[in-house]
Amino acid sequence: MRLRYAVRGAIWIAFYLLFILAPLFALLAGTWPPARDFWTEFAVALGYSGLAMMGLQVGLTARFRYVTEPWGEDVIYHFHRQISLIAVGLIVTHAVILTAGRPEMLAPLNVLEAPWSARFAIVSIVALIGLVVAALWRLRLKIGYEAWHLSHIVLAVVAIAAGIAHMVGSGVYLVDPQKRALWIGLTIFWIGLLLYVRIVKPLFMLRRPYRVSEVRRERGDTTTLVMRADGHPGFRFRPGQFGWLTVWGSPFKITGHPFSFSSSAAVTDGRVEMSIRNLGDFTSETHKVPVGQRVYLDGPYGAFTIGNPADMHVLIAGGIGVTPMMSMIRTLADRGDERPVNLFYGSRDWESITFREELEALKARLNLTIVHVLANPPVGWTGEQGFITAEMFKRHLPPPYADHEYFICGPDVMMDAIEKALGELNVPLSKYHSERYSFV
Amino acid sequence: MRRLFADRLVFATAVIVILGSILFALLRVAG
Repeated sequence: MRLRYAVRGAIWIAFYLLFILAPLFALLAGTWPPARDFWTEFAVALGYSGLAMMGLQVGLTARFRYVTEPWGEDVIYHFHRQISLIAVGLIVTHAVILTAGRPEMLAPLNVLEAPWSARFAIVSIVALIGLVVAALWRLRLKIGYEAWHLSHIVLAVVAIAAGIAHMVGSGVYLVDPQKRALWIGLTIFWIGLLLYVRIVKPLFMLRRPYRVSEVRRERGDTTTLVMRADGHPGFRFRPGQFGWLTVWGSPFKITGHPFSFSSSAAVTDGRVEMSIRNLGDFTSETHKVPVGQRVYLDGPYGAFTIGNPADMHVLIAGGIGVTPMMSMIRTLADRGDERPVNLFYGSRDWESITFREELEALKARLNLTIVHVLANPPVGWTGEQGFITAEMFKRHLPPPYADHEYFICGPDVMMDAIEKALGELNVPLSKYHSERYSFV
Repeated sequence: MRRLFADRLVFATAVIVILGSILFALLRVAG
């Protein structure tokens, strides 16, 4: 599976670069307009490349399972964020180089009198800067997630549309009808990606609704929603995967939220469960969801899943990061798997350990060892406390450590510390899997 | 660590795109 993912990953990287650079170099085909100086041509190339990168941004977050599987959705979103800074940087550099030689273009009077193509350029750059500022400082600017998401889409469409208009209006290369057709075709492709995400996919989800059949309160201010496929067979998922859940409203609603499936993947009756902790935002409403409520699930997604050959599964969870682990443990128990499973489970205190009793019960069906690590242990606690460390792994796991398969899910700070600890134990990158649940 | 890999991909992509843009400009000026 790993090799297959590596090959697929390499193919998609090649495709990505091809979609950015091929339209640029296609401008060199056929007849050329008169050459200008190096810096002008370099700036023009940066503009074309930057715009192609911006257009492809929609594709990165379009949740194409076949594309995202080799890396995992969290890594794809991280790439989406970082590469957008590069794309905006290229476009701004394009504008700076072109205007550096013509300072008169910066005078406000001339901006107002500038040709339409230049005005489109200004609109595009202002929208891009707004996009970046809102994305980087959303929390500091106190912008709600839904409002931000909507503005993110609107600003991106404005930036790209204005960029295209600027390119067609001022690009000497696009005078050639074939080259213009190529770039307009590319734009239609980007628009198609957006329509797929916002129209086609929700339409598909609308025909495959789910109904909440049970709402279960769990320890740690967590609520489990049990959902059943309504009028269709549902989907099969692999333990550790997640889906995008829309509870209130239609699938056309701008925002669904990603949650791991916590139920066993061995269940085949169209039932899935998600366990959601109250984090003070929209998740505080979960326990109010009535039984019978129609909900929509987009999934399954994610590469954070068991399946590789392993002598032992080591599951490391922090807080509500236990949900994908719970799915893995329940699935392994249902499958009658006899390999040892070690769960390192970090919680705030003894009372807030979600699934505590069920995990104890699962020990009877599985070779399961649980190491609870408490931030605020009760008086007389003799177990582990504080943060999960490399020393803790040495105390509870048999060497050689590199032979086990590690799965980590929790808050970013914990994930960084665990990845460092595993590095200290010489566990190769290929032996551990992680999923950051704070990726959106 | 996986995000570090993604960061390296971002860096490599940026380098390739900038080098591609330089090549484009050089070809145009030379051609």
